[in-house]
Amino acid sequence: MSAFGAAWRRFFGEERDALVLGLLRLALSALLFFNGLRLVLELMRDGYFADYFHVPLIPEQWLPDRSGYQLLLFVQALAALLAFVGIWPRESLLAASGLGLYFLLCDRLQYHNNRYALLLLGSLLAFTPCDRSFLLAYGRGHTLPLEQRIAPTYARRLFQIQVTLVYLGSTGGKLLDADWRSGQVLFHRFAEAPGIAASHGFPLPAWVLVILTSTWFASLAAKAAIASELFIALGIWFSRTRRLALWLGVIFHVSIELGANVELFSWLMVASYLAFVVPEVRERRFEFASGNPRAQGLARAVALLDWCARFERSSFSATGNERSWFYVTNRAGRRASGALGLAQLAEAIPLLFPLWLPLALYAQLTRERRARVPSSA
Amino acid sequence: MPRSLLNLSPRLRPLLFCAYLATQLGLLVRAQSSPDLVFGFQMFNASSQLKISLFRKLRRRGKVRVVPVHDGAWQAKDRAGAFHTHRWQDRVRYRNLATLEQFVHAAYGLDAQLFRLQFALNDFVSHLANDQETEALIAEVDTLKNGREAGHVRLEAARP
Repeated sequence: MSAFGAAWRRFFGEERDALVLGLLRLALSALLFFNGLRLVLELMRDGYFADYFHVPLIPEQWLPDRSGYQLLLFVQALAALLAFVGIWPRESLLAASGLGLYFLLCDRLQYHNNRYALLLLGSLLAFTPCDRSFLLAYGRGHTLPLEQRIAPTYARRLFQIQVTLVYLGSTGGKLLDADWRSGQVLFHRFAEAPGIAASHGFPLPAWVLVILTSTWFASLAAKAAIASELFIALGIWFSRTRRLALWLGVIFHVSIELGANVELFSWLMVASYLAFVVPEVRERRFEFASGNPRAQGLARAVALLDWCARFERSSFSATGNERSWFYVTNRAGRRASGALGLAQLAEAIPLLFPLWLPLALYAQLTRERRARVPSSA
Repeated sequence: MPRSLLNLSPRLRPLLFCAYLATQLGLLVRAQSSPDLVFGFQMFNASSQLKISLFRKLRRRGKVRVVPVHDGAWQAKDRAGAFHTHRWQDRVRYRNLATLEQFVHAAYGLDAQLFRLQFALNDFVSHLANDQETEALIAEVDTLKNGREAGHVRLEAARP
């Protein structure tokens, strides 16, 4: 067999642990439910979309009538709920996403990139083995044992490619637009910010106004935004840059969420990063001093927040020779406590992930400072 | 092990993979020539604005007149001579196009909104059964592209 043939078979036959894909299913089905809920609210507030001006992307006769639309909205909401609780999760996910795509085709005015991206990613996730964990309807047995979770994950690669395409499409549009590259677009967005903040009762300080209304700041922000998106799109594919790219992506989307109305986009992209998590579980170790209240509190927090099952937890005797009350061993086998230990915790726990880089930098700084101070012993 | 119709056989997996990628890349390329960049993933692409002013083209005593539409509403007679009120916002609820006589943000850029405005005009005049006076609807649009004046655009839709 040729090298290409072997690589082809390896790629499409790749089998990995599917636990994290179940978590991703929870996130996407919840977002699909909220996306459907928005359509229901719009129907209640504005009436049936085809009763007034709309621009279908499909022939008008393919549009549902009012009662058909109501029924399909109900089916979509039900499918998203079933996918969330884990009853026919993959089929339900595909049904909810497929119906959403159909609704987008019914009216071009409803088209938004974030909605389209959600529906595509939901459809792709349905082809992954995301039905082997976090099946909430099954109570305590919500996650299958390891040997049943190992399954073909070629569709995860397609999901990852789609995430990259979203960023590349966005970056490409900005790179081709001279006004975007120069900062002209952001300058006008920023210029509106003081008025918006004041209208919400938060007048901005004078120095912030000076920065926001300066062309150099807009130019710098535009270049930073383009470079960030490009780095996220490509950096997530390489193990050396992946963690930094994901961290930058989280910060990027949090800042967008704070400054612009992008519906579910920020939540979607941050959730989609779960597809880039190493599928194998319990490859790290968290050790804590038994009997130490702080250590036990941290252990409880780790147990609660370790959604991707990154850590094997164990305790050691507080009266032993250990100098710290907790240790974290990362995938590379580096055992650490203190700030570096916390950084190694944060890098693997979704809710703490934004703290990873500040903690790692702080640990690096304090280590260098300690190295410079000669020991008194 | 869970069974699912979506567990594709090893032969079908490359088919799905390649068909999906080809479709996506095709849509991305096609989006570049679409005025509203639909399926193109081009977020936050402009800080442009537009101001729409509506006019009706009427024919009275053989003469063509263009009269402004105030607040998007007017009254016109039907065939039986009864008056009916027509309101732009009753039919065009899309926020970017429903606001008249003031600058609003042009989501996805000016080209996108002008493209959709032409559809809106066509749609509106095709629903004027109770108006025997209006021959066409005209939109005079002032545009600002990323803060700079980008000219004046006139769109027109005649009754079918």
